[in-house]
Amino acid sequence: MEFQKLPPVKEQIMKCVRCGKCRSVCPVFEQIRNETAAPRGHVFMVGMLRDGVVEPQPEVYEKLANCLLCETCSVNCPSGIDIHELNAAARSYIYDKNPSAGKELIFDTMWTRPGLLRTTTMLMGGVQKLGLQTFARNVGLTKILPGDMPKAEKIMTNVPTRSARKQIPKFNRAKGDKKYTVGYFLGCGTDLFNPEIAKSTVDMLTRFGCDVIIPKDMKCCGMPHIANGKMDTARRLMAHNIKIFNSYNLDYIVSDCASCTSALAHKNTEFLLGGLKIEDEAKLFSDKIMDLTRFMVEVLDVKMPEKNVTRKTRVTYHDPCHLANAQGIKEAPRELLKRIPEVDFVEMPGANTCCGGSGTYSLTHYDLSMKILDKKMDRAMSTGAAKLATCCPSCTMQLKYGTERCHWDCEVVHPIVLANRSCQQALIKK
Amino acid sequence: MDKAAIKNELVKMLGRDKVLTEDLDLMYYSYDSSFLTKLEPANPTAVVMPRSTEDVANIMRLAFENDIPVIPRGAGTGETGGCIALRGGIVLDLSTWDEIIDIDAANMQVLVRPGVIHAKLNEELAKYNLFFPPDPGSSQMCTIGGMVANNASGLRAVKYGTTEQYILGLEVVLANGDVITTGGMKARCIKNVSGLNLTKLMVGSEGVLGVVTRVRLRCWPKPRARGIAMAVFDNLDEAPAAVLDVYQAGVLPSGIEILDSSAINAVNGFKPQINLPQAEAILLFEVDGNPPGVEFEGNIIKEVVGKRARTIEWSTDPKRMAELWEGRSITATAAARVKADGSRVFAGEDISVPLSKVADTLRQIRALGDKYGIKVVNYGHIGDGNVHTAPVINPENPEEVDRVLQLVDEIHRLAVELEGTTTGEHGVGAVRRQYAELEHGLAVKYMQGVKDAFDAKGIMNPGKLF
Repeated sequence: MEFQKLPPVKEQIMKCVRCGKCRSVCPVFEQIRNETAAPRGHVFMVGMLRDGVVEPQPEVYEKLANCLLCETCSVNCPSGIDIHELNAAARSYIYDKNPSAGKELIFDTMWTRPGLLRTTTMLMGGVQKLGLQTFARNVGLTKILPGDMPKAEKIMTNVPTRSARKQIPKFNRAKGDKKYTVGYFLGCGTDLFNPEIAKSTVDMLTRFGCDVIIPKDMKCCGMPHIANGKMDTARRLMAHNIKIFNSYNLDYIVSDCASCTSALAHKNTEFLLGGLKIEDEAKLFSDKIMDLTRFMVEVLDVKMPEKNVTRKTRVTYHDPCHLANAQGIKEAPRELLKRIPEVDFVEMPGANTCCGGSGTYSLTHYDLSMKILDKKMDRAMSTGAAKLATCCPSCTMQLKYGTERCHWDCEVVHPIVLANRSCQQALIKK
Repeated sequence: MDKAAIKNELVKMLGRDKVLTEDLDLMYYSYDSSFLTKLEPANPTAVVMPRSTEDVANIMRLAFENDIPVIPRGAGTGETGGCIALRGGIVLDLSTWDEIIDIDAANMQVLVRPGVIHAKLNEELAKYNLFFPPDPGSSQMCTIGGMVANNASGLRAVKYGTTEQYILGLEVVLANGDVITTGGMKARCIKNVSGLNLTKLMVGSEGVLGVVTRVRLRCWPKPRARGIAMAVFDNLDEAPAAVLDVYQAGVLPSGIEILDSSAINAVNGFKPQINLPQAEAILLFEVDGNPPGVEFEGNIIKEVVGKRARTIEWSTDPKRMAELWEGRSITATAAARVKADGSRVFAGEDISVPLSKVADTLRQIRALGDKYGIKVVNYGHIGDGNVHTAPVINPENPEEVDRVLQLVDEIHRLAVELEGTTTGEHGVGAVRRQYAELEHGLAVKYMQGVKDAFDAKGIMNPGKLF
């Protein structure tokens, strides 16, 4: 759909009264402190683009892209403006007029082909294992990477050499009485960087009575594409995933990844596909989408095995923006953690402030991302926790890097992994 | 000196990271929260972010020598275009200069730089059981410098007054680069009648006399308890009468807010679960102080207001207080949503009238809304007669814009006619200066004389205030 006719662009820009509330909550603005980084400034600039006052030039893209799309502004906007949608739509509008070969390669050629993406990532893992990444860094080879990548490549540490998909079958039968048939949307971040989360997810779902299907042909949720001005590609990916998942008779579609569920949830499908023919199918699909922790707590109402734990582990929780802001899910992950007998849950101050990761933001805006991360780590460390739980692979990667930067001996972990470990230990004891 | 040379000079003076000169960057400084800048955004020539008095003095000298307008700006949350470079010039973005220099708890005062955010200041003061009482709705984002420039207040002004009552002294950089201290170079005293009161002159001067670079604020002990009463009225006239009854019973609440039927409908339309009772008006009284005092005054309000109201409920339970206050807290947001393709317009939004004329004012505004076919939501600080009017239009429809501009002009004139003023707390800026003659008559000439004494070349925030 034409940029000017997109519903948020058409209907929402005029609602901004520039009250500045967004200035008080935006993590990027907090660092930059001038109006060019204020979310209301982004709304203003999208309006200028729409009206043709400014041309869709790369420098405008740069301004708009200095935003985490964390949605903190949107949830706090008194006028109810989806500022992140306006921003994403404008990025795409500008990108379409100024395409780049590098982005086409990454987001169209690689990130739309799970096999190719997997092979590339696994190669990266191999390179790390052989010590070649350290070698390349030491001899300055990484400096040839574009933008902030030479600094940011350090964030991608310990890439596994085997993806989750290579380790988990497509169909996983429920243990005991079957309650639901569940589609597992195995996102790229979990598949490639956190296979333990995927294994724990499947273990827990089957243990509590779910048949779990991981469709072989599913592709990326499209969130990285939305953030990088590739909305058309995101639409194509969305249409593909809808077709694939709708071909199964599923009760629910769950994902451990906050960004995936946020990208696939009704609000976003409406944003991406609103008005197109696929709308009804999209609704059928997005109505089934549910965050994994919410599914475990609200649908399955899992009861963890009872045990006497003499020494509990202190665990704190970081709210991924795509879960807390985009979907309003704050209680379920905490509740799941609290049900684990080994967990002594402690809230951190500012748990729902962004960690600065935001998918590719930490790679494109490394220095700012680190400032936001450092603030987050101060808050997390103040809890004295031994484990830092979160529900997003991008946050996980960023926070892991944060613990390394701070020399903090703390495991960054998905609640489902802790829940699964607790269940497994209970089985061993029996 | 041409634009490029000015920009180079500023970069040389402050460093590249404190100066914006690219056209694209400058566009972000073409607006504040006013309707005026939605219609007519205006770009500055440069934006600077000074972090010392010396920086500001140097900028002023450069501007003075070259006749360049200088426009101080805080968080840009004002509703009058007060921080906009209408005729080009250098915008001083003071919002990054946010140092709390000294909390002097022993003397109940604090010394700050202009960019300190109001809410953050009160967070810090709370550690000493102190607070800075003026309480604007924009507390989370507005700066102390902006509050000083506009003599801001808010919903607790009825008891605590406005910003000016809390300013003990200021450091001000004048147009020619001179740096003066008002209230005495060394004075930390609370009472001070020495010399002409330049502090009061500067507060509310909206940047037309100088740039405020340091503020000494008086703080008050933080109240320990709070209570809220909600009273529902079938007759609009009973609401201001009930307010007067409360005053005459010897009670000065910390806030008295009104929602008229337009606001009640807006709140219920936006969030039906709040379910405010249908009425001509709802009043909310807030009382603060020590617990026994709060309870005592709450009982008086209940008794006195109960004689006029259909119902009245009093609570000191935090959960219930939040519920009672919820309707008021979302009114501004709800107003913006009474029209599907509409937006709330910040114009004609801040008139202030005598308490005895509030009911009449609300009725007349409603009639004006009908006359121009524009939905108007009314709420505000009835305790001091400050009415917030929220016209809601589609700002991208030129015909609606034309109508709303006529409407707000009539609202401003109505306020003056009813022995009130065009602005109670938001300021004049660029949007209300046309009423200066109407409001002040010959006094405008002397205001200009005062300005000339401080700013002979007229470079300080031109086109504002009068």
